[in-house]
Amino acid sequence: MPALIEARDLTKKYGAHVALNRANFSVEAGRIVGLIGPNGAGKTTALRAILGLTTYEGQLSVLGREPFRDRTQLMHDASFIADVAVLPAWLRVDHAIDFVAGVHPRFRRDRAVALLAKTEITGKRRLRELSKGMKTQVHLALTMAIDAKLLVLDEPTLGLDILARSAFYDALVNDYMDETRTILITTHQVEEVENLLTDVLFIEKGRIVLDSSLDDIATRYAAVAVGADRIDAARAEKPFYERRMLGKLVLYFEHPDLDKLARLGEVHTPSVADLFVAKLSGGVE
Amino acid sequence: MNTAMNATMNSTAWLIRREFWENRAIWVIPGVIGAIMLLAALFGNIEHLALPAEFPTPAVGQIFLVAVVTTFFAVMSIYSTWYLLDCLYADRKDRSVLFWKSLPISDTTTVMSKLATALLVIPLVYFVAGDLTSLLMAFIVSVRASALVGGALWHADLWLQLQVFWLYLIVTAAIWFLPIAAYLLVISAWAKRAVMLWSILPPIAAILVERWFFGTHVIAHQIGTRLVSLPAVAFNTKLGSWTTTVVDHGTVRTPADIWSFLNLGGFLANPATWIGAAVGVALILGAIQLRMRRTEI
Repeated sequence: MPALIEARDLTKKYGAHVALNRANFSVEAGRIVGLIGPNGAGKTTALRAILGLTTYEGQLSVLGREPFRDRTQLMHDASFIADVAVLPAWLRVDHAIDFVAGVHPRFRRDRAVALLAKTEITGKRRLRELSKGMKTQVHLALTMAIDAKLLVLDEPTLGLDILARSAFYDALVNDYMDETRTILITTHQVEEVENLLTDVLFIEKGRIVLDSSLDDIATRYAAVAVGADRIDAARAEKPFYERRMLGKLVLYFEHPDLDKLARLGEVHTPSVADLFVAKLSGGVE
Repeated sequence: MNTAMNATMNSTAWLIRREFWENRAIWVIPGVIGAIMLLAALFGNIEHLALPAEFPTPAVGQIFLVAVVTTFFAVMSIYSTWYLLDCLYADRKDRSVLFWKSLPISDTTTVMSKLATALLVIPLVYFVAGDLTSLLMAFIVSVRASALVGGALWHADLWLQLQVFWLYLIVTAAIWFLPIAAYLLVISAWAKRAVMLWSILPPIAAILVERWFFGTHVIAHQIGTRLVSLPAVAFNTKLGSWTTTVVDHGTVRTPADIWSFLNLGGFLANPATWIGAAVGVALILGAIQLRMRRTEI
């Protein structure tokens, strides 16, 4: 079975600025993939290309389609939330449901209504009257009621407080995700999504610098915290990054010799957030 | 193919409904105009309205009914201009375009629904509002000034003729003003701010450049002609076929009947009609391409 998203030499230039520079990546069906990178790394541009919102160079196939050319068809099987604050202020909640039910063949009205019934939001309210958290709930209810094969989320929790963020991800994992779905998500809050991701894509300066499942990360990377007396021995194993933490030095290794490392100190699998910092901070200090 | 057509028709119907949700002014403004006119008819000082004895009553009815609906269309032309400039800009400004584009509706369908709203739906709303207002006003005026006006405003035949006249005007205006509407949509889909200003600048710049470099004024003439000459193109305005009535202080001229007044053949045979339509189609295609590419401001 071909990958759900397949990008080959995906490139996007805005004048002299290269937002995506021959990026290569693929996303398999049934995964929850985090697209993680610093500001300006090309995350949003990559998502815009995947969703058919922008032209691009190189090859890109999403659900077997060319996104920019076939955006309308693609949106039958893919849905997205590009920041939750984009529902129009003048729209009434019941009209929003009517509209999506009217134009989207895969929208399940009963599911949207059931999701909203759990909240305090009533149909006659306009979006402008709702708090940011409530707007999120409306957008999420609309989106989760669509039987989409691919859900793309671009900074979905930007500007939400910690309770709303947590409720958002709980709903996503418990009510929405199943084996028929694939989620691609970008966020600044790596720690927040770390537990639900199955795969990560690290992007930097328009290039993919890491494309791995979390399982592979566990076997491919290791970090060891060593005391001052063992630093030289640890450095001999060629770490690709090191940082000071609580008086110890933590060294990061790719394809480590775990037996050797175990003799130097406490070995653990780096978190996605730590690995992100390690990979993108560029080499040994 | 048939399913795709049905889906497009279905989406278009929802998109037009959506325009009513977003732009309540589409029905609020004609409602307010109608209310003001009815209040004027109800409470205005019209008890002593007098008509010259020799004034033919059908002409009075015609002038009255035309004046009421024309007032509605005059306001509409200003509103529609604003609507066209705003409709592909507002959702980019508030970023809600990202929500609309997450639905399986093509940009072509979206742009065409805005165009149809401006050129057909809004005129029909104003027409119905103007028609209802004119009927209610005619009733009120007839009752309040019955001694003098009498049945002057009630001519079923005349009223039916005017319905044909207005519908003909709406259809020909939609074709005639297509290039202007399409131009406004291009600006709306393109501008990052100040759509009003951006809509005025290119024609002014083109007119000035033409004048400086060639000393001619073809563009100004073309734009001016497009704006004002629909009556001359679509109607038979030669006064020979009109009924002339001499009253106290001058003459009143009205068309002998509606059929000799409409000039559909002349409208369709006029090259300007089709050149304008072709320019309009080209600009619409441009607006669609811009809509596909310009997601945010």
